[in-house]
Amino acid sequence: MNGLMTPQLIRITEIYDDGEASRHFTFEPVSGIRHSARPGQFFTLAIPGHGEAAFTYLSLPDAQGRFKALIRKVGSLTSALFQCNHGDLIGFRGPFGNSWPLEQLKDRRVLIIAGGIGLPPLAAVINQLSTKESTPVGLIYGSRSPADQVLKQERLAWHTCMPILETFDHPSSRQQLTGTPLDHIQQMTAKLGGSPEAVLACGPEVMMNAAAQHFIQNGLPPEEIWLALERRMHCGVGECGHCYLGSSTVCADGPIYSWQQLIRLQSQTTA
Amino acid sequence: MRAFLLDQIDRLRDHLAAQRSLFTPQFAAGSSELSWLPLSHNTPSAAIERPLLATYPAKQFFFPDREILFQFDGADFKETLPKPAPQILFGVRSCDLCAIAYQDQFFQQDPYYQARRKATLLVGIDCQLPCEGGFCPTVDAGPFVRDGMADLVCHQQGGRWLLISQTSEGEALLDGLNLKAAAEGSISQRSRQEPQVAAQFPSAAHIETGIQRINQTQVPAELWQAMGLQCLSCSGCTNLCPTCSCFTSYDRPVDNGFERERCWDSCLYDAFQREASGHNPSAAAGQRVERFWFHKFSDEYFKTFGRYGCTGCGRCEKTCPGVIGVHSVMKRISAIL
Repeated sequence: MNGLMTPQLIRITEIYDDGEASRHFTFEPVSGIRHSARPGQFFTLAIPGHGEAAFTYLSLPDAQGRFKALIRKVGSLTSALFQCNHGDLIGFRGPFGNSWPLEQLKDRRVLIIAGGIGLPPLAAVINQLSTKESTPVGLIYGSRSPADQVLKQERLAWHTCMPILETFDHPSSRQQLTGTPLDHIQQMTAKLGGSPEAVLACGPEVMMNAAAQHFIQNGLPPEEIWLALERRMHCGVGECGHCYLGSSTVCADGPIYSWQQLIRLQSQTTA
Repeated sequence: MRAFLLDQIDRLRDHLAAQRSLFTPQFAAGSSELSWLPLSHNTPSAAIERPLLATYPAKQFFFPDREILFQFDGADFKETLPKPAPQILFGVRSCDLCAIAYQDQFFQQDPYYQARRKATLLVGIDCQLPCEGGFCPTVDAGPFVRDGMADLVCHQQGGRWLLISQTSEGEALLDGLNLKAAAEGSISQRSRQEPQVAAQFPSAAHIETGIQRINQTQVPAELWQAMGLQCLSCSGCTNLCPTCSCFTSYDRPVDNGFERERCWDSCLYDAFQREASGHNPSAAAGQRVERFWFHKFSDEYFKTFGRYGCTGCGRCEKTCPGVIGVHSVMKRISAIL
């Protein structure tokens, strides 16, 4: 059995294109060792010779240990991953990090805000919340353009059981909503039947910060706003130092923080 | 804890070296640099008796600047845990021992660090005089070795040495030396002596004020930015700092596959936090300089480790070509109001 720093083998079982420079990957364990994970956690993929990087669970491991990820090609490791085929073996470590506060969201009216490639880290929590009748949940998903949207199949399924608004910086038709997710909060509030009692967000930090400030101004307590942060994560266990945020390491203490926690961490330093 | 009398420290050193590989700070031939080297016999112990700090701390013995984490042989990943021979570090100063204790906590779950650490016994030495730039008393890291930080502690008392065993492993090393037990009261005499040595250190008021201001976020961003301009991102401070622990890793081709190597990294490099998207949360040099000192002096880390991430060794001041080592930075911070 390898320790925390050494990957174990997994097999790629399915690949399909899903949005601009993005692909949907399904993985299964090779050794028969299955693991469990919670929505919002992440793992790393290692491709020998190209290094290792962190990715989020699009779907959590099932009974056979199969799980999915949506991956955008942005650098050398993801380029190597895009050269891989069905059946190829690569390295895996995880799960790492904390998860969305599912317990705390029970019986709350939940608004989920995703920007661009920030949708996949929310997918597993959307899957869980959208099937619970006791939790009214809505999604506003902002993208640059329709071609940049990801998770087409998942969104089709979610449309059948929850309100979703899809917004674009550059829409391709007049029927599409123009603007950022923040421009359409009123419309979603009407669909949800009231102001959100909890907000989950993942996307560019500028967008998440603006969303948090909007809801704070509207009286939502800072402990009801949750953001998933992106940082450079190498080790996943809080050792290598790259993902620091004040006195916290995002890979081990995050990646999900309440606005209350973030304000405290940001107040620790001045620059 | 038991105390023994020792006439000559070299006798202890050679006795220990006969049992395990022993490393101790020495001047290599032709070098003015005090380095951790394997004991060569008949080396004079001058470096032990003077308050000299090795250029590098002892962290490289447990967290080496480069090490292999695993290999990929074309079929599977194989963890490559180190299998170090039992060793002794002889003559470790209190500041460096406190740093080892700090890293013992930090790397608690790290099997590579722990394998090396468990193979090592530590022989500490009390400093009887301040060293250049050192301020260990201000951060409770010296000048005498703290309880539980070493297996054995050497303490000069008059022309002789008091040898204190702090662990059973340390005491077992003394078998065969036939040491006499020290007189009752020698340990308390040592305790009384420490404040007298501490009092000889120059004032460190700027360090105390600096710690306060960092924790109250009273240092203006402009000052951090001004000091950031002086940072050459050379990583001298982070390499020499006995508690710095950041690392990066990369894959290297070898026969029949690849190996993953980790090596020391530095939070002062501009791309340290840069993400694949190009987003860089610490793009400004001032942010990175602030980060470094926050990590050393924040009460947040004190809560976790029971001490600051700075043990007052002063190495960063000696090595920094941009004059933003600990004394320079803390003097500027303490002068702002």
